[in-house]
Amino acid sequence: MHALTALDPGDARLLTAHIEHCSECRSTLDQWEETVALLAFDAGGVEPSRQLRERILHATRNTPASSQAGGQTAEATNVIPMPVRRSEGFSMQSWTAIAAVFAFAAFVISLLVLWSQHNASRQELALLSMQVKDAQQQLARQRGAIEIVTTPGTQSVELEGTEVAPEAHATVAYDRSGRAVLLANNLPPTPEGKAYQLWFVVSGQLTPGKLFSPDASGHGSLEDQIPAKARGSTGFAITLEPAGGVAAPTGQIYLRSSQ
Amino acid sequence: MTQALQPTLTFPRAFLSKNLRAEPAQTSDNDLLKAIARSDETALGSLYDRYRVILFGLLVRILNSREEAEDVLQEVFIQVWRRASHFDESRGRAFTWLVTVARSRAIDRLRMLAARGRLAEAATRDEWESVSDADTDAFYAERSEIVRRALQEIPEEQRLTLRLAYFEGLTQSEIAAKLGTPLGTVKTRMRAGMVKLRELLGQQVRNLL
Repeated sequence: MHALTALDPGDARLLTAHIEHCSECRSTLDQWEETVALLAFDAGGVEPSRQLRERILHATRNTPASSQAGGQTAEATNVIPMPVRRSEGFSMQSWTAIAAVFAFAAFVISLLVLWSQHNASRQELALLSMQVKDAQQQLARQRGAIEIVTTPGTQSVELEGTEVAPEAHATVAYDRSGRAVLLANNLPPTPEGKAYQLWFVVSGQLTPGKLFSPDASGHGSLEDQIPAKARGSTGFAITLEPAGGVAAPTGQIYLRSSQ
Repeated sequence: MTQALQPTLTFPRAFLSKNLRAEPAQTSDNDLLKAIARSDETALGSLYDRYRVILFGLLVRILNSREEAEDVLQEVFIQVWRRASHFDESRGRAFTWLVTVARSRAIDRLRMLAARGRLAEAATRDEWESVSDADTDAFYAERSEIVRRALQEIPEEQRLTLRLAYFEGLTQSEIAAKLGTPLGTVKTRMRAGMVKLRELLGQQVRNLL
């Protein structure tokens, strides 16, 4: 098949590389080429124009023969290079290759777009998850508050805003077990590093409760457990304190019960 | 398909002795190439005169154009002029070298023309034929007859794959696609055709050239 140069390019390259080092196979190939060359007779003879002979001889007069071409270093060989499977200009194969490059580029771009969209979706999903989690926590707090408020025997205490937050208002509801819920409105936003802290007033002494921060509209809430010693307390206060909370009030009172 | 294939074609002894006798006074191809290597233009002219018809016929068959074939034939003999000293007679006959060079260049040209969309439409054979001298006609007519008779002994599908590969320069995969035949079948047919062609012509290769 190699003698017919009919091997596909990959096979032809392998065979060509092999016969360079295998004299036996090269000899076999030479014999096959002798047979194949006879197929030229199948084409039948055709006489070229009479002018061609003179053109060739004229051309050779300006071309050094091999023995005179001192710069040539080609080794003695009858091996003819395989016809090169190439084309000049843009063949169908060239266009196909170009189309393949564009298709690949489009594929890569689409992958990048998808990857980008995937990342954006993931971020959006994470944000939504956080919002859902916050909503679930808020809902749980509200359910807890409703449960406390609707429990028989629950008492509630109103808290009024002081001069630093005259519009503020809050309600503390607590049941017999000491579960308490605070719902506050119109509270000023807390400065950086600060939070509101609930206080239980027992015999004129303030016992610290939990911390909370209002939302952008001034609403705030929390659930807490009133300490046993403060169960009889009916007084509550809310001060502005450091975000980590304090054992004794240090800041101004924003809300306090009237009782 | 030929069922009882003979190892070699049997040509009448009288036919061979009459038609394949070498000319006693003719300079051998190898000697001509040695002279060409010494820049002997007369030797190049002699080699051209000896093989112009068979080589040009081959090029016309491949390229389907006299103009392109003449261009390629000129390239072939310029290559012979430049590389005659590199010819190694231990590797094969000068005829084989010339045919291989010519076919290789023609197939390169064929692909270049196909890529440019300038491949000539099929012309009728009569357009290519021109008158040659009587000796040349006889020489090639006899040898063509022997090769064609051998090819006729090969099953048609095998013969077709050989001709598509040889004259159109198609690879096995391209032949498979052109014929709508599995690649494995093409390979089998091509190999079988080559083996049979060699069996048929093997004993006569030396006499043919």
